[in-house]
Amino acid sequence: MSDLIQAVDSPQKIACAARQLRETAQHKEITPRMVLEVFDQWAAALDNRELHEVPGVTFLSLWLRRGNLEPIVLRELGPNSLNGGWREDGHARLRAFPLGLIGHWPAGNIEIQPVLSLTCALLGGNGCLVRLPSSLVEITRRLMEKLQEVDRTGSLTERIFMASFDHSRIDLHQAMAQAVDGAMIWGGAEAVSQVRGLPFPHWARVVVFGPRLSAAAMDAETWGNKTERSSWCRRIARDVWQFDQQACSSPQTLFLERGDGCDPAEFVEDLKQAFEEENRQHPRQQIEPALTSAITLARASWLLGNDGNRALFPASPDWTILLGTGAEMPPPTQGRTLSVLVVDDLLKVISTFDGTLQTLGLGIKDARKEEMLALAAGRSGVDRVVKLGRMHVFGSPWDGAELIRSMVRLVRHVPSQD
Amino acid sequence: MSALVEIERGTESLLAQPPYGVDPEQRRSALLALLKKNLGYACDRNRQFRNYVEHWPIDFRVADAIADLPYLPVSVFKANPPLALVGVSDVKRTLTSSATTGQVPSRVVLDAATGRRMAKGVITIIRDFIGPARRPYLVIDTPENLAAQAELGARGAAIQALGSFATEVVSCLRPGQERDSSLDLEKLLACAAKWKHSEVLVYGFTHVIWTRLVQPLQREGITLDLPNVRVLHSGGWKRLEQQAVTRDVFTRGVASLFGCSANRIIDYYGMVENVGVIYPDCDHGNKHVPAFADIIVRNPLTLAPVEAGQQGLIQVCSVLPTSFPGFLLLTEDMAQVIDYDGCPCGRRGISFRFAGRAPKAEVRGCGNLEHTRYRLGQGSEVA
Repeated sequence: MSDLIQAVDSPQKIACAARQLRETAQHKEITPRMVLEVFDQWAAALDNRELHEVPGVTFLSLWLRRGNLEPIVLRELGPNSLNGGWREDGHARLRAFPLGLIGHWPAGNIEIQPVLSLTCALLGGNGCLVRLPSSLVEITRRLMEKLQEVDRTGSLTERIFMASFDHSRIDLHQAMAQAVDGAMIWGGAEAVSQVRGLPFPHWARVVVFGPRLSAAAMDAETWGNKTERSSWCRRIARDVWQFDQQACSSPQTLFLERGDGCDPAEFVEDLKQAFEEENRQHPRQQIEPALTSAITLARASWLLGNDGNRALFPASPDWTILLGTGAEMPPPTQGRTLSVLVVDDLLKVISTFDGTLQTLGLGIKDARKEEMLALAAGRSGVDRVVKLGRMHVFGSPWDGAELIRSMVRLVRHVPSQD
Repeated sequence: MSALVEIERGTESLLAQPPYGVDPEQRRSALLALLKKNLGYACDRNRQFRNYVEHWPIDFRVADAIADLPYLPVSVFKANPPLALVGVSDVKRTLTSSATTGQVPSRVVLDAATGRRMAKGVITIIRDFIGPARRPYLVIDTPENLAAQAELGARGAAIQALGSFATEVVSCLRPGQERDSSLDLEKLLACAAKWKHSEVLVYGFTHVIWTRLVQPLQREGITLDLPNVRVLHSGGWKRLEQQAVTRDVFTRGVASLFGCSANRIIDYYGMVENVGVIYPDCDHGNKHVPAFADIIVRNPLTLAPVEAGQQGLIQVCSVLPTSFPGFLLLTEDMAQVIDYDGCPCGRRGISFRFAGRAPKAEVRGCGNLEHTRYRLGQGSEVA
């Protein structure tokens, strides 16, 4: 079994791999249906006990299923796109062609992101050159081994090259950028800015999934409902725990709309129990000391900043709930630190959001009210409005952009016989 | 008897003991009782601090270990105005930490009593390492850091804290432009000639000693012939590590310059927020804690104290400050606990080694806005 992941130390090695990948993408056509077939088998192979401790692998397995991806392909590339043929468009015909070779720069904190990123490009028939952060090499290797097991003809694996090199090797980043026809860039502000500044060819289509924040909101009918509250709290805990609250879709603040007879202190007690339970099931295995410092500082700053503020936290840095009032979102701490802010009017708060907010997780009793809130969120720059507990469910569009559509060229053919 | 008087008496009693001779259990028990009084006093003086303490998972009044008491992260002293337990009119001096460009310095306020205890603390510690005698004091810094000022930086505070050991003080750097400085060689050589047979105390920031004293004199091939010197230095190794200067290279370079043995060069760890407590290296390369203070090294994953041999975040504990809540502070520095007692140098209690500033997380993902300040309703602003 050849190794898809290689430690790279020269620009020449990248250029060589890029040449091979582009040749494969250009000369060996692959239809979305063929890709979906392999993905479906890959999904089954990933549903394996030995991989269960890999964060996000369950989700990845669901994401790769044909039943999930086929509707996305059809919606983004049009009907009849599964077989890769032409489709009628008035007097013209349309057909999706790969961009060619796609460079992927995944973030270092989401274990399954290198794989998620390349799935979109593979569905478009592209070759994939992936820069693998050193922290993800071993996990990615285990996930890719499962692909190699099911992709017996190599139709997908021959389109993939994963390069592992230190983030400071600008020459290797540049070599990657110069070699590609498109790019998917994920990550924090600094990383994204650096990659965006690389010398991509002028035709390259660069899609950036940059730094965003996410928030959650509940109306009083929902959070004040004592019988349903624990279930909502479990959903919030799940959203906070996944990716250690470092993903763009991780809620940093929960807004609670004030309601008669509803006590936020009671609510955060339930939330505390949900956090404790989630922590029992998914304890941290390691932590950066700098994050521990940031968590202790967030607790202290919150309580020292206003003697009306409240907080719940254990002696460890495992989780933190900061309770207060006001519409101003505190700076995000991450590391399972959730600010819970009581506000008078959710609509007013959501109307003041801006494009920094990616996902709004909602728990709203009344559908009409939710519609108004979703409308306000959309107008304010929010790209995803979902039910609490589903904030990380990766789907298309993401960050307001279609994932597969951005990885193909739609060629228009107007027949000359007409 | 008022709480402050009780604290004063308790602190005086600890300061009067041999700094490193007390049985660790006895010392911890005395410190625990006094730190609880400090916390109670601070809660009475500052509503916000009380709010913090009341939310601590363990009630400090019933805690039976110092490690269970509520501690503050040291960065809270970057707030402006500084977190204080005294009114503005009682503040005699403000100490500021050294901060690199773009960083906000910490600020702690001292009233007269805290200032007095701070001086006593440093004297008690240093005396144990270099003896009680007063001697000529050579400062590897510019003269302005010797002057009494209402707001004093880390360098000035460190220099002035050793003033009690001085019969005379000479600074041997000349101020230059943009915080640069250069060696006043003539003055230095005159001092070296005059003090040749004396015990001499030298202090400077580690990187200042290396770049402003050792390197220029090495280039000129000059040595000072002061075999009875004691060179104290602090301020961290980051800048020298960037120049690939190891501790060993530094110590040998300084010893060779002064013509003294390497054990006369003493590195110490300290921070302005931990007023009156410094941690010099003993002859075995370990740091120790005096009777009026403690160190807890905490596992970053659990924040529980680590076992001997392990590394973690340093928490400093001290009964000296009453003008600001600096009794229990979690720093952003790392240390390794060598042992909880029994250092071959004979000093009792915990021995540890400094292991540098906690490294910043390399990548914190797409949810990290890093330099972006987010305020609802005001849009995002890139700093």
